[in-house]
Amino acid sequence: MLEIEQLCYRFAGDHSENMKFDLSVGAGEVLSLIGPSGSGKSTLLSLIAGFLKPERGHIRVHGQAIEHIPASQRPVTIVFQQHNLFPHLDLFTNVALGINPSLKLSQQQDQVIIDALDSLGLTGLENRKPGELSGGQRQRVALARALVRDRSILLLDEAFAALGPALRAELITLVKALVERKQMAALLVSHQPRDALIASDRTAFIHDGRVIAVQPTRQLLENPDLVEVRTYLGSM
Amino acid sequence: MRSAYLVLAILGIVVLLPMAGLLNLSQLPGFEPQDLQFWHSAYIRRVVVFSFWQALLSSLLSVIPAVLVARAFAHTGDFPFRSLLLRLFGIPLVVPSVVAVLGIVSVYGSGGWIPLGRSLYGINGILLAHVFFNLPLAVRLLLPVWQGIPRHHWQLGEQLGFSKWHRWRYLEWPALREGLPGVLLLVFMLCLTSFAVVLTLGGGPKSTTLEVAIYQSLRYDFDPAQAVILALLQLSLCVLVAVAMFRFQKLPEVEISISSQAIESQNYRSLLNWAVIVFAGIFVGLPLASLLIDGLLGPLGRVVSNINIWRAAGNTLMLGLAAALLSNIAGWFLLRGSSELANQGHLKQAKLIELCGSVIYVVPPLVIGTGIFVLFSDYVDIFEWVYPVVILVNAMMGLPFVIRTLGPSMRQNRMRYEYLCHSLALDGWNRFRIIDWPLLRRPLGLSAALVAALAMGDLGVIALFGTPKTATMPLVIYQQLGAYLIPQATVTALLLLGLCLMVFWALERCIGGNQNA
Repeated sequence: MLEIEQLCYRFAGDHSENMKFDLSVGAGEVLSLIGPSGSGKSTLLSLIAGFLKPERGHIRVHGQAIEHIPASQRPVTIVFQQHNLFPHLDLFTNVALGINPSLKLSQQQDQVIIDALDSLGLTGLENRKPGELSGGQRQRVALARALVRDRSILLLDEAFAALGPALRAELITLVKALVERKQMAALLVSHQPRDALIASDRTAFIHDGRVIAVQPTRQLLENPDLVEVRTYLGSM
Repeated sequence: MRSAYLVLAILGIVVLLPMAGLLNLSQLPGFEPQDLQFWHSAYIRRVVVFSFWQALLSSLLSVIPAVLVARAFAHTGDFPFRSLLLRLFGIPLVVPSVVAVLGIVSVYGSGGWIPLGRSLYGINGILLAHVFFNLPLAVRLLLPVWQGIPRHHWQLGEQLGFSKWHRWRYLEWPALREGLPGVLLLVFMLCLTSFAVVLTLGGGPKSTTLEVAIYQSLRYDFDPAQAVILALLQLSLCVLVAVAMFRFQKLPEVEISISSQAIESQNYRSLLNWAVIVFAGIFVGLPLASLLIDGLLGPLGRVVSNINIWRAAGNTLMLGLAAALLSNIAGWFLLRGSSELANQGHLKQAKLIELCGSVIYVVPPLVIGTGIFVLFSDYVDIFEWVYPVVILVNAMMGLPFVIRTLGPSMRQNRMRYEYLCHSLALDGWNRFRIIDWPLLRRPLGLSAALVAALAMGDLGVIALFGTPKTATMPLVIYQQLGAYLIPQATVTALLLLGLCLMVFWALERCIGGNQNA
């Protein structure tokens, strides 16, 4: 459903080699992305989200190229590790921004927001400010906004990295169920091998700006054949 | 981005157009070819030497004690009046120079509490006033240096049995060495271009700086050619200092604010440190206290019943608010442009845009004023156009403060939320209304308040072009001083100070809001 074809990018003033990505994610799939820091995981997500402009190559969703569409109009929604929420706005407003940035909402849309918060276990908290929440709750709110935006591609850029193992597992399971139910395609960047095991049947390994392996998660993590992956995992 | 370039273009015109006027030197009335050999003129030589000399002394006398005071504060930990004292050190930032001069005269003048020598007029008074302004500034700039020393280093020092000297040698001096040249040069530059203090306390040709000499050649000698030569000299000196400053660019990053910051401090209390703190507090507080008392005991009724004072107060208020508005709008767009560039990885260009905002340090107000004078005085009655010129120059003088106050929050805001806003299609008015305004109104309120107070207290271009009808309160005070009406001047100064503080408070509250979030 999401196809990345020869997507090239080079940082301004950087003499390093071009990054060049090829990848595909199916409907209802959460694909994990692992790889060393600086290998290009976040860059790839920024390219898909439209924050960075590729030099060449294509990003297709359902066969349609989206690389020329502005970030806000792409069928993509992203959750960052932090700063997903505006600290001065309550949860309801933070989620509402996902529907209409001028905050003019119909009654029906109000209900959509309440329902989304409910479905993520945030019932009754809509008037709270982000500062009053735990880290896990804040990421739930960010997910609620991603849901009301109703886009087909979900990007999770170390979205749960700041949370403890149990909470991470819980949220990843939740995301996995949502993605399956809504038939979205999701990319999960994480530094924890265990996250990939929970989230994904397939995992991609990125090294030096290239996707050098896409394999069944268990095989990639527990029985890696590439020396780069072994070095990254520390399992020589 | 486009709006940032627009602001830069306007800035460029405002700076370069008067320069073009200056280069037109040979066409000016009173120009004679031997004027160009200015180094033969004993007067100009004396003025240049004095400008340099007083700036050097002022900066040394401000910054060296400031190191001691900052160190004493850093070593003394929390004590009851600490934050109040630090707040007091913020006040000189918004006290108009003429007001401070009166405070200093009322303490150290011949009839004052602590008469200092025969006369305050001349180098003594100038140095006192410059130290009054710049010592607290330097303390506030240097204090964060101690804060920047990691706690573990202090603990290591204790474990290794460091003496006071060791602590200074291994912990404090290395941290200080980086920031000190920047602070020294900044204060040097401020004293080199200081106008109101030298104008009011300088005594005749013996203690005149370039800045004041420019004013005198235009206003009294009516010798535009000499004014232009002086202005060009001043400009070159400032460019030299600015280049030096650029090399030692490491000014400690500190948000300028009147309130005291929470500063983690070590506990090395000593009698000497207490003495330094008390002495510095008295030095800064005394002129303000004395002004307050003398002003309240002065001919309040006579001053208040003078219609001219009220007119001047109205002018002052109008000019201050207009300059604050203009400066903050320009600063907002400049900062937005530079943070956008920084976000795209163009850090150098981003820094450059912000540096352009501080161009007024290099091209002092009187230089711009002179340029405008020689350029336009043949075509229009420049005295009719005094307000736009004063507002523009004051807005430019405020710009570095806007950049320092608003910049850090703006950058942080852009860094955190740029992508998020893009993906949510939050832009233009919606972004301003929902995101930027609520998150940035606080620093915006502070910077508006600062610029307004600075502009209201400024005695610069207005002295060049002001008439009785267009006079501001600082100009009225200067005229009262010139007529030896010291008691009246003191009362007017107190009123001006009150007005400045009121406007400061009101703007900080109204724009900044009363939020604790």
